[in-house]
Amino acid sequence: MIHTWRSAFRGQYAILICSIIIALFFIVALLAPWIAPHSPIKVDLLQKLKGPSMDHWLGTDHLGRDNLTRLLYGARISLGFATMIFLSSLLIGILVGSVSGYIGGWVDSILMRLCEGIMAFPNLVLVLGIVGIFGPGLMQVLLALMLVQWVYYARICRNMVVSLKERHFIAAARISGSSSWKIIRRHIIPNVQRPIIVIGTLEMGWAIMDISALSFLGLGVQPPNAEWGAMIHEGTSYIRSHPELMIYPGILILIVVITFNILGEALSERYGVTRR
Amino acid sequence: MSYQRQRSAIPVLATLLAVLLLLAGCSNTGNNTASSSASDPAASAKSITMSWPRDIGTMNPHTYNPSQLFAQSMIYEPLVSYEKGGKLEPALAESWKISKDGKVYTFKLRQNVKFSDGSDFNAEVVKKNFDAVMKHKDTHSWLGIVSVIDKTEVVDDHTFRLTLTEPYYPVLQDLSVVRPFRFLGEAGFPDNGDTSEGVKAAVGTGPWMLADYKQDEYAVFKRNPNYWGTAPAIDQVTVKIIPDAETRVAAFEKGELDLIYGEGVISLDAFQQLRENDKYVTQLSDPVGTRSLLLNSSNPKLADVRVRMALHEGFNKQAMVQGITSGLEEPADSVLSKNYPYTNVDLKPIPYNVEQSKALLDEAGWKLPAGGTVREKDGQPLEFDMIFDKTDPIQKAMAETIQAEWGELGVKVNLTGLELTVQIKRLKANDFDLYFWYNYGAPYDPHSFINVVASSGFGISETLSAIPTKKQLDEQVRQALSSTDETKRQELYRSILTTLQEQSAIIPISYIKKTAVYQQKIAHFEFPASRDDNPFEGIQVTKP
Repeated sequence: MIHTWRSAFRGQYAILICSIIIALFFIVALLAPWIAPHSPIKVDLLQKLKGPSMDHWLGTDHLGRDNLTRLLYGARISLGFATMIFLSSLLIGILVGSVSGYIGGWVDSILMRLCEGIMAFPNLVLVLGIVGIFGPGLMQVLLALMLVQWVYYARICRNMVVSLKERHFIAAARISGSSSWKIIRRHIIPNVQRPIIVIGTLEMGWAIMDISALSFLGLGVQPPNAEWGAMIHEGTSYIRSHPELMIYPGILILIVVITFNILGEALSERYGVTRR
Repeated sequence: MSYQRQRSAIPVLATLLAVLLLLAGCSNTGNNTASSSASDPAASAKSITMSWPRDIGTMNPHTYNPSQLFAQSMIYEPLVSYEKGGKLEPALAESWKISKDGKVYTFKLRQNVKFSDGSDFNAEVVKKNFDAVMKHKDTHSWLGIVSVIDKTEVVDDHTFRLTLTEPYYPVLQDLSVVRPFRFLGEAGFPDNGDTSEGVKAAVGTGPWMLADYKQDEYAVFKRNPNYWGTAPAIDQVTVKIIPDAETRVAAFEKGELDLIYGEGVISLDAFQQLRENDKYVTQLSDPVGTRSLLLNSSNPKLADVRVRMALHEGFNKQAMVQGITSGLEEPADSVLSKNYPYTNVDLKPIPYNVEQSKALLDEAGWKLPAGGTVREKDGQPLEFDMIFDKTDPIQKAMAETIQAEWGELGVKVNLTGLELTVQIKRLKANDFDLYFWYNYGAPYDPHSFINVVASSGFGISETLSAIPTKKQLDEQVRQALSSTDETKRQELYRSILTTLQEQSAIIPISYIKKTAVYQQKIAHFEFPASRDDNPFEGIQVTKP
């Protein structure tokens, strides 16, 4: 029983189901302005804290704004910024990792010690520090998360490159006169893709968690923008009479993060990327 | 390869936690009725238990944080006490005489007053306390009297004389505040007499004394057997330290607490729920302070009175205050409510009027560009930054509402939630456009308010800096504070408050009230007249 349940969540099925769920979230997020029934920032205090109705499917919040609309717009920020963090830290990570691994020597030592230095701190502490310096705001959070996440990509990439470097096809390319840059671009990066995808999928889930956590603390998204973590925070004042204000965004964060995690696990199994 | 952080257990934990929380929530509502009548048998029927968000601190009458005002006011007493409507009543001073020029105050001290350790209260002790406070003038300079005290003298055993450098009318009001001018017994002073370094024991003349105390957990106050006045009707007050508002409410519902009292100590949501429950009694005080929005006129865009007036008229205050606070706060028409001395003047309220607001903005030259949503003048957008305390849900909701309503006028507002300390720093550095501000309340107001109108460094004078009659206003404040003539003083207050109303640089939003929620066994609960005092005077407990 447990075995079949487990196997359903691994392998092909899991990848397919999770990909569909994630794709759905992205489509909804992209189309939010067109499919949302109301404006996410229009305040109507006469309509505050209303239950579900035909006009407001999930009711309204403490300022009379439509919950469904705010959840949809919240998806834009959570997913959009998580993707941006993913892409930017991936870019930096691959660049630093490949250069470090390919050149080796003291360049490698310096870059890797830097990575270890960053990894030695708990992520959230670093992010809070950076946000503390630059002040609260979504861009600052984006920058902070990017600055702490690239090291993971860089480490994997560098390790892969070090082992790839000794392979014969690299030697062949070098002998035939390819420049270092060309070798990195044409031969090395395509070969590190798989583990990067696995790690990237797992990191996406964490990026969403981190953005939400920081917004919950009031450091990320500034009002009146909707964001899931910030919505949970707004809901805390109404936890006794209207717990659904916290539950809706909470469930969405849970679904998205778990989906990314399961997908990441399934992919790592499929590509044979052992994790520790 | 060990490149992955060990984080994958966290989602599982999070789920578990969520489930646990849900279960906890359910069980809580389930045993409400069963446990509410069960009370601790050890506590006598004549004691009450209340909660407070923070530890009561070192019970030193001459220092500030972390000491809690309500607790200090239980142990220590002033010379003069502040009663409803700003009336000053004798406390430790039986009577007082003020010289013609308003510079010499002679206090006749009450006879037969003893400290809780049995020692006598006399002019020597009064002088010792005054001198200990005046040794650290800088710490206390926010209180106007501190900068005008010239001499303190013992005339005889029960007469004390205070000489000022210049007349200052709110001397008695300043002496009635909870700190720093209250009196510590001889035995409490450290060997070198400098109380800023701490006190040996909390020895006061007040109705209560500290009997038992455990930091961050509880404090037990027992009746002072030597108290000179009417002894309290209850024997004991236990203060439980509960930092979280929801936990406080849960403890109250379980019957562990008899009273929750204070400002913002309970969420609006919870207060509403308890109010609807017949088992409990809820009360709201008169206004204790005003929530205002500062429009910093030192910003060139806000220097124009038409813009400030347009912003004031451009949002529905009534609907906002009602909608967000559900009646726990009252919409405010003037910066100071009328229950302070000298503030009962008729000011023309500024009504909600979107059309006039738009017309004023047009007139001031801020026009909507074709197809645009933000007004412009000389290529500059009409855009402001508003900072708010991110831990205050009411401020945040109000900020968002105002932002939305002004947005429809064509005024763009950017919101930033900050830590309270950062926010105050920016207020003092004059680094803000729009700021939520609170006045001090009784017994500090109205004189502390007009004091900050004129003196810089508190953000208010800076906010008003571009109004055309600022110099005149400062002069009026100076005159009012040093006036000895009652009618003239009233006239000056009227003039100052009228100017502020017309200039609209401080938009009054709502009057804040204190809340009290208590079990039915408590009778005769009354809010204290002074904002910082304790509410235990006259409180009674009926047998359940």
